[in-house]
Amino acid sequence: MMMNGGEATEAELFLNCDDMSVLERQRVQLNYHQYHHPGFEPTLPCFFPNSSKMNVGEVDSFLPSAGLDLPEIYGELHGDARISVSPGNITTEFGNSKKRKFGCVDTETKVCNEKKKMMMMMDREVAVEEEEEEKSKVTEQCTRSIMKMKNKAKKEQNSCSNDSSKVTKDSQRTDYIHVRARRGQATDSHSIAERARREKISGRMKFLQDLVPGCEKITGKAGMLDEIINYVQSLQRQVEFLSMKLATVSPRLDFNIDDIFSKEVVSAPMMNLPNTVMPPHMMVNSGYPHDMVNSGYVHFNPMQQVVTSSDPLSCFNNGQSATMWDSEVQNLYTV
Amino acid sequence: MERQIINKKKRVFSVEPNKIPPSEVFTRKYTSHLVPALKKLNMNKNSSQVNQLTVKHEVDMALALSAQEFAWSRFLLQKLSSSNNPTTATSSSSNGIRIQERSGKEGGGDEDGEIEEKLRELQKLLPGGEEMNVEEMLSEIGTYIKCLELQTIALKSMVQDTT
Repeated sequence: MMMNGGEATEAELFLNCDDMSVLERQRVQLNYHQYHHPGFEPTLPCFFPNSSKMNVGEVDSFLPSAGLDLPEIYGELHGDARISVSPGNITTEFGNSKKRKFGCVDTETKVCNEKKKMMMMMDREVAVEEEEEEKSKVTEQCTRSIMKMKNKAKKEQNSCSNDSSKVTKDSQRTDYIHVRARRGQATDSHSIAERARREKISGRMKFLQDLVPGCEKITGKAGMLDEIINYVQSLQRQVEFLSMKLATVSPRLDFNIDDIFSKEVVSAPMMNLPNTVMPPHMMVNSGYPHDMVNSGYVHFNPMQQVVTSSDPLSCFNNGQSATMWDSEVQNLYTV
Repeated sequence: MERQIINKKKRVFSVEPNKIPPSEVFTRKYTSHLVPALKKLNMNKNSSQVNQLTVKHEVDMALALSAQEFAWSRFLLQKLSSSNNPTTATSSSSNGIRIQERSGKEGGGDEDGEIEEKLRELQKLLPGGEEMNVEEMLSEIGTYIKCLELQTIALKSMVQDTT
C-alpha cells in the first residue's frame, strides 16, 4: 500500500504538466506502467484481474476485518448498485492505474480517491456511481475536454476534503458525492450503472477476441459473439468426437497410457499403494469418489514396472515412446 | 423462486476467474484423471463394449476435476454427479437466472436484441452459464475455451497414441 502510494506520487508529479493532452498523459502512464510492471497488460478497458464477484451477504461479512489488505480476489466493483467496491482496487496495481488515469491531476486528488475507496466500502450506492464514473472515463479514453476533467477533479477534491474527515469517524454514515455527468450523457444513476456495465462487457469481449483465433478483424459485439459461439461449439463437438473415438479404442488403451502418464509407478510388491501413484493433493481436492480412482490403480500397480517420467507431456513429443510401450506391454503380459 | 435462491447460495465464484490455467498443469491433471477412469471402465465391463456415453461422462468429469478453480467446472461437476442418478433430473439449466430482458428499453433497437440472443446462446453452451450474470459468464467463457482446447489436445494425443 505504501509502495503503491509512493509510485502514485511519482506518477502524479511526472504527469502534472497541464500542457499535455489527455491522451499523451495516458500514453505516458502506460509507458510508465510497462516500465515498472513488465508483466502487466496495459489494455485500458480490461478489468479482468479483479473480476470476481461476490454476493452482498458475503461482502458484509468480509468488510470489517478486511482493511486494505485483501488480495486481488475481491477486486472489482460490480455494476449492480448493491455491491460495494473492495479494497482490492486500492492494493492492486491495475486498480491504481485506473484511478491514476482518471485523477491524474494532483496527488491530493489521488489521496482523496483512496480515502474515497474506504468510504465506498461503507457507502455503496453512491460510491458505485463515482467509481463507475471514473471507470467509464478511463475506458472511453477521456474523450471529454480537459476542462471537464479538471472541474470534476476539483469537485471531487472539495467533496473529498469535506468527507475525508468524516471517514475516520462514523463508518456507517452515508456521504453523498456529487457526480458530474459527462457531456451528452444522462445523469441517471441507472444509466451510469448501465454504461459502466456495458463497458465492462465490451472489455471482456476484447479479451475473448484475443483468445478466439481469427477474430482480430471482426468488430462489433454481434459478430464477435457469433465467432465465440461457433468456436465453443466446434470445440465441444471436437471433444465429443474424440471421446467417441476414444471409446472405440479404449479397450486397447489399457496399460500403455498408464505407463506414459503416470509419474511414478510402484513396482512388484502386491500391496495396495494407490496413494503413491497419484499426487496426494489431487486426490484430496477432487470431488471424485476416492474408492473409484483408488481401485483403478490398485488393479494395475502390481503389474507395472517402475517408470519415472518427470514430465508426462514429454511423451507427446517423444518419438521413441512407441518402442517403450511395446516392451512394457510385453513385460506386463509375462507377469 | 426457491430454486433460484438455492442456486444463488450454491453459486461459487472463481478465485481467479481469468487466470488462464498453465497448460502443462491442466493437461497433466486431466490425463491423470481420465486415464484411470477409463481403465476402471474397461475393467468393469471386461470385454464388452465401452459405452460411448460413459466415456463422454468420464471425459467431462476429468475436465471438471482438472479445472476446479473455475465456476463452470463446479457446475459441470454438479451436473455430472446428479446425472449419475437417473432419477434426479438435471433441470439446473432450465431454472437458471436469465439475462435481463431489455426489450422494454430497446423499442426499435434490434441490434441489442440480437446481442441478447447471442449472449443467451452462449450461456447455454457454458456449463452453469445460465446461472451467472453476463459479465461473469463472459469471463468464465474465456477459461472454458482454454480448457476445452487443452482437453482436445490431450484427447487427440491419447487417441493417436493407441492407434
